[in-house]
Amino acid sequence: MPLSETDSEVSARIEFEQSQRSEGWKLLRGLLRDQRRNLVVGGIIGITWASFKVAIPQITKFAINDGIEKNGPLLRWAVIIACLGVVTGVLSGLRRYVAFRESRWAETLLRERLFGHVLGLNIGYHDKAQTGQLMSRASSDLMQIQAFIVMIPITLSNVIQIFAVATILFITDPVLAIVAMLPLPFVNISARRFSNRIHPISVAVQAEQAQLANVVEETVSGVRVVKGFGAEQVQFKKLEKEANDIFGEAMKAAKIRSNFLPAIDVLPALGAVGVLGVGGHRVLSGQLSIGDLVAFNVYLTLLVWPLRNIGMIVALGQRAAAALVRIHEVLSTISDIKDPEVHQTFATATSSTTQLGAVKFDHVQFGYDPTQPVLTNFNLEILAGESIAIVGATGSGKSTVARLLLRFYDTNNGHVFIDGVDIRKIKLSELRQQIGVVFEDTVLFNDTVTNNISFAEPDAAQEDLERAAKLAGAHDFILQLPNGYDTIIGERGFSLSGGQRQRIAIARAIISDPRVLILDDATSAVDPSKEGEIRDAMRTVMSGRTTIVIAHRPGTIALAQRVVFIDDSTVAAIGKHEELVSTNVRYREVLANMEQSKTAKNIQAVK
Amino acid sequence: MWHAGGVSDEDRLTRAQARTIVGRVFKMAAPFRKTIYLAFGCVIVTTSTTLSAPVIVRHGIDAGIRAKNTDALNTSVVIYLIVVSLTYIFGRLLFVFVNKTGESFLRVLRLAVFKQMQRQSMAFYDRNKAGVLVARMTADIESMSELVQFGLLQFLSAALMLIFAVLVLLVLSWQLTIVAFLVMPILVLASIKFQRDSNKAYLIVRERVGANLSALQEGITTVRVIQAYAQEDEVNRKFQISNRSLFAAHEKSVRVSTWYFALIEFSGVFASALMIGIGGWFVHRGTVTLGTVVAFVLLLSSLFDPVQQLSQLYNTVQSAGAALNKLFSILDATPEVDEHHSAIDLPTTGELKVSNLCFTYAGADNPALNRVSISVGIGEKLALVGPTGAGKSTLAKLMARLYDPQTGTVEFGGVNLKMATMYSLRNRIVVVPQEGFLFNGSIRDNLRIARADATDTEIESAIAAIGATEHFAQFSDGLDTQVRERGSRLSAGERQLVALARAALVDPAVLILDEATSNLDPGTEAEVEHALERLMTGRTVIVVAHRLSTVQRADKIAVIADAQIAELGTHSELLALNGHYAQLANAWAQSHSITS
Ligand SMILES: Nc1ncnc2c1ncn2[C@@H]1O[C@H](COP(=O)(O)OP(=O)(O)OP(=O)(O)O)[C@@H](O)[C@H]1O
Ligand SMILES: Nc1ncnc2c1ncn2[C@@H]1O[C@H](COP(=O)(O)OP(=O)(O)OP(=O)(O)O)[C@@H](O)[C@H]1O
Ligand SMILES: [Mg+2]
Ligand SMILES: [Mg+2]
Repeated sequence: MPLSETDSEVSARIEFEQSQRSEGWKLLRGLLRDQRRNLVVGGIIGITWASFKVAIPQITKFAINDGIEKNGPLLRWAVIIACLGVVTGVLSGLRRYVAFRESRWAETLLRERLFGHVLGLNIGYHDKAQTGQLMSRASSDLMQIQAFIVMIPITLSNVIQIFAVATILFITDPVLAIVAMLPLPFVNISARRFSNRIHPISVAVQAEQAQLANVVEETVSGVRVVKGFGAEQVQFKKLEKEANDIFGEAMKAAKIRSNFLPAIDVLPALGAVGVLGVGGHRVLSGQLSIGDLVAFNVYLTLLVWPLRNIGMIVALGQRAAAALVRIHEVLSTISDIKDPEVHQTFATATSSTTQLGAVKFDHVQFGYDPTQPVLTNFNLEILAGESIAIVGATGSGKSTVARLLLRFYDTNNGHVFIDGVDIRKIKLSELRQQIGVVFEDTVLFNDTVTNNISFAEPDAAQEDLERAAKLAGAHDFILQLPNGYDTIIGERGFSLSGGQRQRIAIARAIISDPRVLILDDATSAVDPSKEGEIRDAMRTVMSGRTTIVIAHRPGTIALAQRVVFIDDSTVAAIGKHEELVSTNVRYREVLANMEQSKTAKNIQAVK
Repeated sequence: MWHAGGVSDEDRLTRAQARTIVGRVFKMAAPFRKTIYLAFGCVIVTTSTTLSAPVIVRHGIDAGIRAKNTDALNTSVVIYLIVVSLTYIFGRLLFVFVNKTGESFLRVLRLAVFKQMQRQSMAFYDRNKAGVLVARMTADIESMSELVQFGLLQFLSAALMLIFAVLVLLVLSWQLTIVAFLVMPILVLASIKFQRDSNKAYLIVRERVGANLSALQEGITTVRVIQAYAQEDEVNRKFQISNRSLFAAHEKSVRVSTWYFALIEFSGVFASALMIGIGGWFVHRGTVTLGTVVAFVLLLSSLFDPVQQLSQLYNTVQSAGAALNKLFSILDATPEVDEHHSAIDLPTTGELKVSNLCFTYAGADNPALNRVSISVGIGEKLALVGPTGAGKSTLAKLMARLYDPQTGTVEFGGVNLKMATMYSLRNRIVVVPQEGFLFNGSIRDNLRIARADATDTEIESAIAAIGATEHFAQFSDGLDTQVRERGSRLSAGERQLVALARAALVDPAVLILDEATSNLDPGTEAEVEHALERLMTGRTVIVVAHRLSTVQRADKIAVIADAQIAELGTHSELLALNGHYAQLANAWAQSHSITS
């Protein structure tokens, strides 16, 4: 926030915040609309419960006056009260059940909505979003909302209870009622102020805890780096700072708690003192019966919790509102990359006179930050069924080309076509189903080998699965895993070597028989002694399919029919590898080709 | 975050365990002992004052109002007021004491556990998955903060309240006390059953919350793959299943508590009914006074509230105990690789000598290294080559004492690494691991992992040394560019450059490089290699090589195959042997030639 805002800026900000808030509440209303009926039932149960709860001390008073003092029918009174106990018991249980069930249900649905929405957001959004923050939207923010919804039926009964009790007190003895209730509004005010004060600090404590969790997570995941460089002390310092921050915030919270909670506890007792003093004198002067005085005390205790709760629910409501605003912010983020309103479809390969999978980049300009273009005036035409290799220096934009083809990002300028159709005019799912990709860092799911390979084609038959695995050169080692295709792999499963992971990813990419295949550095983690094997596999996979191979090793580059050389954010040269080696100096530099071929010759010579 | 109640059977503590845990907590809390005693004093005061209130009211009614004695009434009122003030003052102090002790304890615990985790060897990290260790430092410690902030206090005061309440009731009338206790058996039985059921239900909830959070996290972190294969709907469908089963677990746990809370509510009212029925009969017979019955009706809640509170707290206390137990097991784990009590500093330079080394990973059937002996002289360069899984990285790790061998020794300058101080060891021998892990932060921060006190100029020259100055200068924030989680802002090759630049920042006597199979373009790679070559001059270097060019620059090449050194010699000597090495070199050459 800027240090000095002009008045108009301030009012604009407040207006904006208010509109955000009302959007948040609208979200909640929409959410609860379907559960209206159950919530009303819960409310009615709550109100009935409250009425009984208020009636019981009244009846107890009668019982004492009539049954004990006047020798009335004791047993009948006892039975009546016990029956009332059964009713309030059942009602309070039901009220709790309805409240919790409905609030959990609302939370459940909202979480699904949130997850689905986040999954659909464009990659540019995910680049900037932090996993931890999205996680806290879907966990602690939702919890705040749940905690608020759960209070709705309870609040209703609280309000009823307060009104009923207040009425009875006033009817019994208005003067004493005022004395007794004098401190109670302060309970409410303090409770609300307490919740408001403590909330930002609880948020801060949570944030500090999340930071500490990050330090621990990174230290543990990167333990080889930490130990290799002896950086234990560095990490310990980071952790110590976070632990101290948590301590500091927690102590602030403790201070606030000690400022409010004991006071909130003690305030109603002041009313009780007043009742004893003033009430006692009124009994002495004959204005009040002893039974009434006793009942007064009982009623006072009945008021303490509801008032405290109302103070709390106001604060909970504010917190829920803040959480709703944050969730609304995510839900109202519209993906930059979305399905076109009127969409075209790809031609299908019915009368397969022509092969499918032609790709064309037409005057494409793109930068993750548009002011810093990664690709400019990028033109490239790949024939259907053709394989090309993209070569370029580190950070030259090779992977970016792949990402554009997948429409992870839209170009700033220019167009990308597949089979003559602008990819922005195709439904995203249709576009992406036609492309198989192996990313440079292999991401596998915590799941079985089978489910990992059949990811793009969940209903794939076992033969298809194995065919893909065989093509990718993965079948043999999969069979040697502890449970074969049913072995759980991924971060929490069986650890595979980098090369093995890449081969599973290749199988995943080809199982759905895509029109266009992208292999981004797909053999980088494969040991050279195994590379020949994989290269054979790749050759089979690539044949007759449009393939884009991003590679550094000449052996892999050679698999492609043509080489596209990216330099200076554009296509610097296209041609056969040998041609480029002999004509393009930069190409030779990037591939350090001279040196390589020399060493190769040396070896031949020695042999 | 999530309610951490519920303890699985294996986590449940035996009585003996519970006793040792309590003992150890007291030991750890020793520095705060004075505050703890003060807090305890406060609890006693506030509990007695709270409980004395009804007694005072009774006195006021019986001695003041009934006896028509104004003075006695006034005295009662004044005493009541004093008692209320005392409750407030001591309640406040109590909060301060308890929170201060509790939070200090958690802080000490966090630091101690982390420090101990850092002392552990790599074997420890092999055994414990990252997620589990993070959970120890976060969820397990946080599950105690509820206890620290409210629980302990509530527990103490509820327990005391219960004891005092019983005492007060007994003093007032033992007959009515028995009446009040008539419902207790129901309550106790119900509480026990509730604890058991809710414990089970909570466990399921906790497990599903965990699964749900993992599903969320996996979905968010793998979103690129999900979108690339257009599987959003399928992933959503799976998430929905996990999410709905979490709902079912919540619903079940609410159902368990529903009848319990209904019963509690009922027993409170039922006890008053008994009090009026039986107590009234006592009054009629003249056994007790009316005032006493009234006081009992009022006091009943002081009897029921603590019971209810205690049973609700039971879970919190149990799970905190279980968490502490797990934390203590980390604190108790003696690091397999630890500093010897009479450790000495390593000499500044010397020969690295490996003799007869045997090493098997925990749980593995076959040794990863089998009777390996080799020595690397001062300033000598040794390349380790061999097929995947042969044991190259393992040997590299043992040379830096990331693990201790089962038999055999590693010596530097004549000193067994087991006898060296950790500080000198980490300073003399540095391993640059195969996977260059990037931390969330700037490029600079990531280099400082290698040397915390490196100046900006030193960092810039490290970047310059690997020839990447120009490259990173293109970024608008230069070396201050935030690389984001795991370095996702950078291209694959750029990530590798940052990881490599770390090596240029340290100045060890022995540099062990576990070369990454590369994402770099050969041009950049050659540049990096030249830089590393410069770094290597005047240093002992051991490099696990995946590239021919690296191997050729070595003075000596060891071929590791099947956990043993199969061949040892120079490039041309080994080629002439026409064995493992010749095969390997051939494969390399092919990968770099166009005619495969
Ligand atoms: N998510 C991102 N946000 C901002 N900039 C990015 C992002 N991803 C990559 N870049 C930058 O864009 C440029 C091109 O990156 P790209 O990943 O396409 O390179 P590359 O050619 O694949 O390199 P490599 O061979 O190292 O994989 C790099 O300078 C990189 O720093
Ligand atoms: N942390 C570990 N726990 C158990 N076994 C391990 C562990 N790390 C490696 N191994 C096993 O020990 C053997 C040697 O592994 P090592 O990492 O030393 O091989 P490497 O020669 O470095 O292979 P690469 O060239 O693939 O890096 C392998 O069989 C491997 O599976
Ligand atoms: Mg790339
Ligand atoms: Mg290795």
